[in-house]
Amino acid sequence: MSHASTTSVGRKPSDTLSHIIIWAIFAIELLPFYMMLQMSVKTNTSFMTNPWLPAPPADWQWSNFSYGLGLIGPYIANTVFVATLGTAASLFLAICAAYFFARYRMPGSDILFAMFMFLMLMPGVANIVPLFTLLKSMNLLNTLWALIIVGIAGGQVFAIFVLKNFIEEIPKDLFEAAEIDGASHFQQMRNVVIPMSAPIIGTLAILMFLGKWNDFMLPLIVMRDKELFTLGVGLIYLNGEYVKQWGRIMAAFLIASMPLIIMFLFTMKLFVRGLSGGAVKG
Amino acid sequence: MAQPISNRKALHEWQLYLFVLPSLLLVLVFAYYPALSAIYHSFFDWTGGDFKQFIRFENFTRALGDKTFWASFITLAILVVANVVKMIPSIFMAVLIHRLTSDRWQYWYRVLLVVPMIVPGLVTLFIWKFFYDPSLGLLNATLDATGIKTLLVALDTNVLQWNVFREGVPIAWLSEPLLIIPSLILWGFPWIGAVGVLIYLAGLQSIGTEVYEAADLDGASSWQKFVYIEFPLIMTQVRLSLILMIIGSLKDFGLQLLLLGDGGGAGGRGMVPGLWMYNRAFTAGEFGYACALGLILFVFILALTWVNNTYVRVEK
Repeated sequence: MSHASTTSVGRKPSDTLSHIIIWAIFAIELLPFYMMLQMSVKTNTSFMTNPWLPAPPADWQWSNFSYGLGLIGPYIANTVFVATLGTAASLFLAICAAYFFARYRMPGSDILFAMFMFLMLMPGVANIVPLFTLLKSMNLLNTLWALIIVGIAGGQVFAIFVLKNFIEEIPKDLFEAAEIDGASHFQQMRNVVIPMSAPIIGTLAILMFLGKWNDFMLPLIVMRDKELFTLGVGLIYLNGEYVKQWGRIMAAFLIASMPLIIMFLFTMKLFVRGLSGGAVKG
Repeated sequence: MAQPISNRKALHEWQLYLFVLPSLLLVLVFAYYPALSAIYHSFFDWTGGDFKQFIRFENFTRALGDKTFWASFITLAILVVANVVKMIPSIFMAVLIHRLTSDRWQYWYRVLLVVPMIVPGLVTLFIWKFFYDPSLGLLNATLDATGIKTLLVALDTNVLQWNVFREGVPIAWLSEPLLIIPSLILWGFPWIGAVGVLIYLAGLQSIGTEVYEAADLDGASSWQKFVYIEFPLIMTQVRLSLILMIIGSLKDFGLQLLLLGDGGGAGGRGMVPGLWMYNRAFTAGEFGYACALGLILFVFILALTWVNNTYVRVEK
């Protein structure tokens, strides 16, 4: 962006064209969301007579939303529970583990670190079958706890990798000063590491939450009871069940997106900056 | 780097190990144990229950002769090649945004890029599936309205001879065997990956104004600027996305599973290796065989990662 303010020759005249092309791409890219929005207030018949344009506000079928909420509300509650608890726990554990790896080169820490990094290569597919039987033997099948615990185990790995690099950049003097004041490791983590790496922790939290919100493979295999479905299985189930009423399905889809949209509105800067920066280069 | 520590001091700081212990335990139980169990069970005839029979390498020899499995690699190869082409729009988009003179617009376009990410992936998937619907879907409506349909019909009768595009008959994108791979390739048009574009943009940012000024003085065209200035700078990121994309294609089968079912759709044309493993485990109940297939996939991924680490240097 350093060159942005200059009026260099040869690039400025084409800007209008660039804007047009960018908007054209976004128009297609965002078409699914436009369709979701406008279809969510239509009935099947009004969609078939007028598929493209929004219906006049007088004809909006608000009942689609109450219906959609009834269908998907419980799934959202389950997902919020799983994603929030899972994100909080995996972040906490990841910060602890990253602190261990970044603070000193303890005997054995190289091997342990390699063990974590190796997991980034391991395909989930190979593990799914034994994981299923493991959860079965632990009596965790068909429970939200299975999703939370497995989510924590898998979700922390990438965060450990990113946070370790970040904590190593924190000036050593800060830790030494804290140590002289008699701070324990836990206090150093709370008072030095967490404040210093707050932005990266925020970005990681968002990424983790998104990942858990979108996860469907594990829930699909683990969950059986309809009341315990998370959005992942819930949406699949819904898509199979109510094939005919598209308006209601789109309303349900929109409701399923709401928590993420609200989260995005509050964390937009963190989100865009985190993704643009080195955070996900790994 | 982490500070080196003497053994005596390490002994004194033993509590530090408690920091890594919970993570370690979780990983051992929920990642390493299943992985080792998969290796162990790949030598067994096992249906997931208590009963299992040791059959040595039979699962692996069976996999070698498994036509569906190898056909799924061909499908995968086609999709990977298509995915390489599908990386171009993201690079193009990043360069377009990067060259804008307005900082404000650059920022807002970044925000717009992220918007698709806040709609749950499954929702996007199902909306796209709806686009492919033969009678209600937007794809057929668009093709009809723009006249491309007539073109496709002509192409089909004169060149392809697939008999899948017919005048007056809605195109059955996801149920016509021959159309399944084209549908999967078309999926997600215009193929802008938010994370990809943002990472490329971060790479492009290191280009200073003076480089562009020098290029302008030399009379470089836009295309030359791209080839000689911009592309070399994001080469690292492009290679990284490429390798991640290939590994991802080997691992993922969610799209195929949800779109086409666990049989890979009509004629099994959409079957990819991961999906075949899933199919063997959860449809056929051949858990031991599925473990062996998973191991073979893992070997492929490991080999690719090794290639990546050896030939693709990524600066941290």
